[in-house]
Amino acid sequence: MKRLFVVLMALVVALGFASTIKIGAVLPLSDITGRQAANAMKLAVKEINEAGGVLGMPVELFIVDDEMKPEKGAAAIDRLATVEKVDFFVGGMSSGVHLAQIPILKKYQKITVWIGAASYRCEEAIGPDADWYFHLHPWDYLQGESYAHGWRAITQKYPQVKIEKIFIAYEEGAFGTSSFKSYQDEFELAKKGTGVWAGLMKDLKGAPFKSAALGGGDYRAVLMQAKQYNPDLFIWAGYDADAIPILIQAKEIGFAPKLFVGAPPGWPADFGKNPLSHGVILYGMWAPALKDVSPIARHFWDAYVKEFNEEPATYFAPLGYTNIMFLIEGIKKAGSLDKDAIIKALREIEYDSPVGGVLKISPSRIIKNQGFRAQKILQWQNGVQHVIWPFEYQTAELIYPFPGWTGK
Amino acid sequence: MKYFMIAIVCVLCFLLPFFVGAYLIHVLTSIMIFLSLALSWDMMLRTGQLSFGIAGFFGLGAYASIIAVDDFSIDPLWSILVAAGFAALIALALGWIVLRLREIYFAITTLALSSVFMIFARNLSDLTGGSAGKVLYESIFKGDSIKIYWLVLSVALTVILVSELFQRTRIRFAINAIRDDEIAAKCSGVNIFKYLLFVFVLTSAIQGAVGALYAQQYAFVEPESTFSANFLLLPMSMALVGGIYSSLGPIIGAVVLGLASEYLKLIMPYGHLIIYGLILVLTIMFLPRGIYGTVVNRIAAKR
Repeated sequence: MKRLFVVLMALVVALGFASTIKIGAVLPLSDITGRQAANAMKLAVKEINEAGGVLGMPVELFIVDDEMKPEKGAAAIDRLATVEKVDFFVGGMSSGVHLAQIPILKKYQKITVWIGAASYRCEEAIGPDADWYFHLHPWDYLQGESYAHGWRAITQKYPQVKIEKIFIAYEEGAFGTSSFKSYQDEFELAKKGTGVWAGLMKDLKGAPFKSAALGGGDYRAVLMQAKQYNPDLFIWAGYDADAIPILIQAKEIGFAPKLFVGAPPGWPADFGKNPLSHGVILYGMWAPALKDVSPIARHFWDAYVKEFNEEPATYFAPLGYTNIMFLIEGIKKAGSLDKDAIIKALREIEYDSPVGGVLKISPSRIIKNQGFRAQKILQWQNGVQHVIWPFEYQTAELIYPFPGWTGK
Repeated sequence: MKYFMIAIVCVLCFLLPFFVGAYLIHVLTSIMIFLSLALSWDMMLRTGQLSFGIAGFFGLGAYASIIAVDDFSIDPLWSILVAAGFAALIALALGWIVLRLREIYFAITTLALSSVFMIFARNLSDLTGGSAGKVLYESIFKGDSIKIYWLVLSVALTVILVSELFQRTRIRFAINAIRDDEIAAKCSGVNIFKYLLFVFVLTSAIQGAVGALYAQQYAFVEPESTFSANFLLLPMSMALVGGIYSSLGPIIGAVVLGLASEYLKLIMPYGHLIIYGLILVLTIMFLPRGIYGTVVNRIAAKR
């Protein structure tokens, strides 16, 4: 009798442990990107559970705020692994936070599907042996390569567009400096006739500015340099706080390059409502207009708005949704919770993502499991972000040249 | 009896990893890192000089340690001493100049140190990795969190010991005299510059060592994260909440704020930072002497 009781208890405990699939997410919840990614993950989990879960089990999502602090992000991994005892890690945003999480992730070696952290230093820190690590966001160097592919395609489709002289106005911090450096490296290769910008970029110049986000906000000097240089393509790499002041000051000094590109990690809310935004080009993984050309993007948009009564404003929303759906598709294909089977399945599946594009895993410079490899080229047109490239997701024709400031 | 109790607490702290999980160990390790910074800030404050250089020397130590391991193949443990020594050397050179300033001028100059160090870190790319920073493939003790906890605990206890030595030796009389009235202290034969320089170098060495610990724990440095204002504001808040001019105050502040931050996050995933900020403001408003200072005052008043 006693033995039977012990066996029954063991069975109950075993079933109890196997009754849910636990996913642990780490995101910066005080930031709109993290908050919307968390919402999108909850939406994905809700849809999965409403459809009967996966492998007959419901999915449970635990979200921990990393507060954008490395030590907090690292402690969150320990908490999810040992307190909530999750089976998988997802999430991510800042590279600085992720660098601190990597030693902890290596300790647990659970399957991790990460949507943030673009710095190549994170890839170096993860190293080539982490089979369990899947990185969905394009690394910084992949983004740089994708812009070249995009501009090349645009110059072919629109022969009037020239990308020979490029000027980069970059914020003096890590983000801006590394952006400029990657262009410099590519320019050196282009001069030798190699690299992705070969035959496209003939000359490059750059100048730093202090971002309004870090106490600066006067761009006149750098804009004057750009004006004198008269580039075909002008790019500013700063933060959202720079977006409107840089346009106002460009108008003030009468600087209207043929292509005016902004490359901040995020744009200010309602930037599109500012009339100066018309014709500004941006790089991004996603645009709301994608819902007009992609059924999965439409589904995500409608479901998100219905669930949270707000519109997704950042690409981390569809990316957060993709994060969960991709992992669940992998588990479904694997047919079990066996780690090796899931890793194999994740490498094989193709997931049509609301980010716009089919997510498929392939190796990058160091890691074996890289997801997306490209950003998109978008353009603000009458307050709406439109996709210009890739052409299969194009939602509007390119406005060229930049319409300038007349009447604005 | 008092020393016996302290010894028991220390032993319990060392044995703690055998009874709690990895998460609490991680939280306690972070608390001790910030506790050491808070104490070092308070030690300088006891001289009457408000230093905002914590984040700067913290970052300097972090970089020195990672470079020592990555470029010079120095053992990670030794790299912490190298970092402390490097921070001390820089503090000695800079202290010679900045310690001739007083009050707000000294405070602002030390505040600028962090930015200056960050600019160096960002621009000496060959050595520091530039704006992308530098990573180590493996953290200290191969990431063993219990060993890291013991290491950080040892450093924190050493800092507490140094702080107590400040309180119990004649250094205390000298720095108290400097804080109360520099001219009177000078007339009494206190070599003000010598004492200030000594405290500045020592506290900077502590900050450098703590930065090295942090960098070795997470195996990376990056200008923005490593020189973050978080390493200045949080230790200051901890010392102010706990109570300044004592060893126990910053310890209490670090434990209270460190645990409150995690507990609030557990019960309130969204908006916990607002409550945390509110606690900080209310504590400073209603307990201006900090928790420890208020308790000491109340006990003294009852007597």
